[in-house]
Amino acid sequence: MASPRLTIRNLSVEFPTRVGLMQAVRGLDLTVGREKVGIVGESGSGKSMTARAILRLIPPPGRVTADELSFDGIDILRASQRQMRSIRGQRISMVMQDPKFSLNPVLTVGRQIAEAYQVHHERALTMLEAVRIRDPERVYAAYPHEVSGGMGQRIMIAMMLVPEPDLLIADEPTSALDVTVQLQVLAILDDLVTQRGMGLIFISHDLGLVASFCDRVVIMYGGQVMEVCDAGDLRSAKHPYTRGLLQCLPDIDRGGV
Amino acid sequence: MIRIEDLSISFGTGRNAVHAVRGISANIAANESFGLVGESGSGKSTVLRALCGLNANWTGRIVIAGQPQARRRQRSFYKLVQMVFQDPYASLHPRRTINNILAEPVAIHKLGDADRRIEQALSEVGLDSHFRFRYPHQLSGGQRQRVAIARALILEPKILLLDEPTSALDVSIQAEILNLLRRLKMQRDLTYILVSHDLAVVSNMCDRLAVMKSTS
Ligand SMILES: Nc1ncnc2c1ncn2[C@@H]1O[C@H](COP(=O)(O)OP(=O)(O)OP(=O)(O)O)[C@@H](O)[C@H]1O
Ligand SMILES: Nc1ncnc2c1ncn2[C@@H]1O[C@H](COP(=O)(O)OP(=O)(O)OP(=O)(O)O)[C@@H](O)[C@H]1O
Ligand SMILES: [Mg+2]
Ligand SMILES: [Mg+2]
Repeated sequence: MASPRLTIRNLSVEFPTRVGLMQAVRGLDLTVGREKVGIVGESGSGKSMTARAILRLIPPPGRVTADELSFDGIDILRASQRQMRSIRGQRISMVMQDPKFSLNPVLTVGRQIAEAYQVHHERALTMLEAVRIRDPERVYAAYPHEVSGGMGQRIMIAMMLVPEPDLLIADEPTSALDVTVQLQVLAILDDLVTQRGMGLIFISHDLGLVASFCDRVVIMYGGQVMEVCDAGDLRSAKHPYTRGLLQCLPDIDRGGV
Repeated sequence: MIRIEDLSISFGTGRNAVHAVRGISANIAANESFGLVGESGSGKSTVLRALCGLNANWTGRIVIAGQPQARRRQRSFYKLVQMVFQDPYASLHPRRTINNILAEPVAIHKLGDADRRIEQALSEVGLDSHFRFRYPHQLSGGQRQRVAIARALILEPKILLLDEPTSALDVSIQAEILNLLRRLKMQRDLTYILVSHDLAVVSNMCDRLAVMKSTS
């Protein structure tokens, strides 16, 4: 692995609430190079907040602190608004966990792609096809509420790939997709990492998926990193929480068809 | 309990019409759990929304609990039938606290005992009571999904329409929710339709299933 593109040291994200301070992320360390890094962990463990902190998208009154949060030498915590705007979407893209919520409800899918990235009709259609949208012309002209859950998710992925980012953060990007389409989408992401040297942070609650797709796996619990291991070594992970997760896997497999 | 005959659903008219569902039929018995699977865009959510009275552009026949259904549903219908939407964010009012989101249906249907019901509904989906004072945007994705499930359960409906209810949940919490559904099926004589792209979940949870195909 070449020198990391993204370096995070001792990241914390906190929210004051009426019942005290909510520590969503507590002292997280992470580096990401030109590789696929998976983040897994139970619901509420701080995966999405980690992702949002990288793009400085933590909503107020949330507080972010870190000893270091840097991307290609840029100090994210101290970058100007203008610098952040050029990083977001251009150099670092993020597929949010609620795909339809992050689309603009009053613009057609096609216009959103065209306006955000100055691409032409043809290119936009090609992108929709790449994520296996069956009738790209119709979807191009559709409003977000007129597409299905899985279509919305694929549209977001297509949009985030247009600017050819150096780092893609994908927050549960395939949770609404069936296995076949999921594999096709993962293949696209994999190509970008291996051929163009993109870095990928892949957030998922699905340990099996992350273990088979990613190079390294970060396991979070209660806002902290419990364990980081190479995907291949996951089966021999030591932390009790990871072991617990692993034990859940065969259960699901057995129920499978 | 739920009878669907030759149900077709389309959006728009003329050349731009989208025929999302074409002539499906199904007969789901009381206390049955029925799975609905099929590729993305095949019309699963559209069917559930029509059953729930949220979409008027359908033809065919829908009979629920012996009553043929009109395009519009009365308030009492939602005491009987509740839906968990695929997109929890869009289905939770952004400016209401979780407490208000859960209290509202209890008040509308005059069930009383709101406090106890809210506590119970939250604990059943594994959320402790301090979440009552949060807003939807202050929750994680999986926490929001569980609030949406709690809201559907709080009225103790006889029929649940579940659209990918555990897609954002890790295995352990998913297992808790699925156990809860199994228990309710036994204790409250619940009937449910479960949409999921996860075949393991459907085969574990459903007595029978139907596969939908895209029409376009
Ligand atoms: N605005 C906020 N105010 C208070 N707490 C918050 C706020 N936003 C998030 N949290 C809390 O921070 C914790 C971490 O949230 P995060 O969204 O990172 O979880 P996650 O790991 O992505 O979970 P999921 O798998 O359910 O999406 C959660 O317990 C959540 O309730
Ligand atoms: N309001 C609408 N206007 C126009 N077309 C619509 C509308 N709602 C849904 N559709 C179309 O109907 C089809 C079925 O959508 P639906 O949401 O039912 O799919 P689904 O099976 O639930 O898919 P997914 O698994 O991706 O959620 C899709 O092609 C969608 O674009
Ligand atoms: Mg999340
Ligand atoms: Mg759907």
